[in-house]
Amino acid sequence: MALTVLICDDSMLARNQLKKSLPVDFDADIVTAGNGLEALAILRTQDIGLVFLDLTMPELDGVGVLEAVKAEAMDCLVIVVSADIQPEMQKRVMELGALAFVRKPASAEKLAEVMHKYGLI
Amino acid sequence: MTPLQFTEEQRDCLQELVNVAMGLASDKLARYLDTLVHLQVPAIELVDTLQLPQHVNQRYGEQSTTLVSLGFFGDQGLRGEAIMLYQLENVGVIAQLLGYSDDDSSEAEMLTDISSVLTTTSLNGLAEQLENSFSYAAPRILSSRDQHFSRKLTETASQWQLALMVDIRYQLTDYSFNCDMMMLIPGEAVLRLRQMLDKILAGF
Repeated sequence: MALTVLICDDSMLARNQLKKSLPVDFDADIVTAGNGLEALAILRTQDIGLVFLDLTMPELDGVGVLEAVKAEAMDCLVIVVSADIQPEMQKRVMELGALAFVRKPASAEKLAEVMHKYGLI
Repeated sequence: MTPLQFTEEQRDCLQELVNVAMGLASDKLARYLDTLVHLQVPAIELVDTLQLPQHVNQRYGEQSTTLVSLGFFGDQGLRGEAIMLYQLENVGVIAQLLGYSDDDSSEAEMLTDISSVLTTTSLNGLAEQLENSFSYAAPRILSSRDQHFSRKLTETASQWQLALMVDIRYQLTDYSFNCDMMMLIPGEAVLRLRQMLDKILAGF
């Protein structure tokens, strides 16, 4: 069964950019969310294996999502894709359990590298 | 659609480009001030400069604000003026943090320094994503701690047609430091910008 992947970003451009930059041989169903609250609603009701998570979002930001994922011990991998590249922020999301941090705009090469590293492709 | 209007797709695209650009600027600011900057979604709004006085009055009322301006010039007619609006109740704290002495001339120096870092970093980030490159004029203070700054702003804005208002709130760990950035661009640059955004959107 194919993996279900959640792309969470408030920008339609960013969601499309990411979708298009995923490796061609990556077999996954893709669902999207426009903010952190939408993401949590999906995570609580669907079987999501991998999340691409933006940080700067309305309603609930990416850090809030990571905190909830950790608190509720949800079984999913999270790759943060964000423009907030401050070292302190990268450290914080890694401490909250993110698998990797990818700076925006995410290139296909970088995504492939990270996904390969963690055995996702 | 009039030449100054953007579609929802174009606005979303521009907002995301600004988001990436702001991320770079915040990273610079965080290193400069040695603190974490909390980024918020950059609310962007496009305002016809004829409507600017009304818009500014509504938003800032009688607060005193310092305006710093920086001209930018890119390829293919993309040019304009970036204006930073600072409301600095905390100006003394920031000055101290950065090691500026506590007088008016160094406050001015600090604001032009910060403006230069923030605007060139974010505008370079924006230019790069538009496959463009900008050069800059030296930053200058248009008006300092002025309650009647909207007149000054209106005068400056009247040379341009469109104001791209980017409401940026740099929230630092221990104090807040509000700074709005406004990009004023002429009509032909608006058209160029829209074409550039369409080109990016066509790629997806």
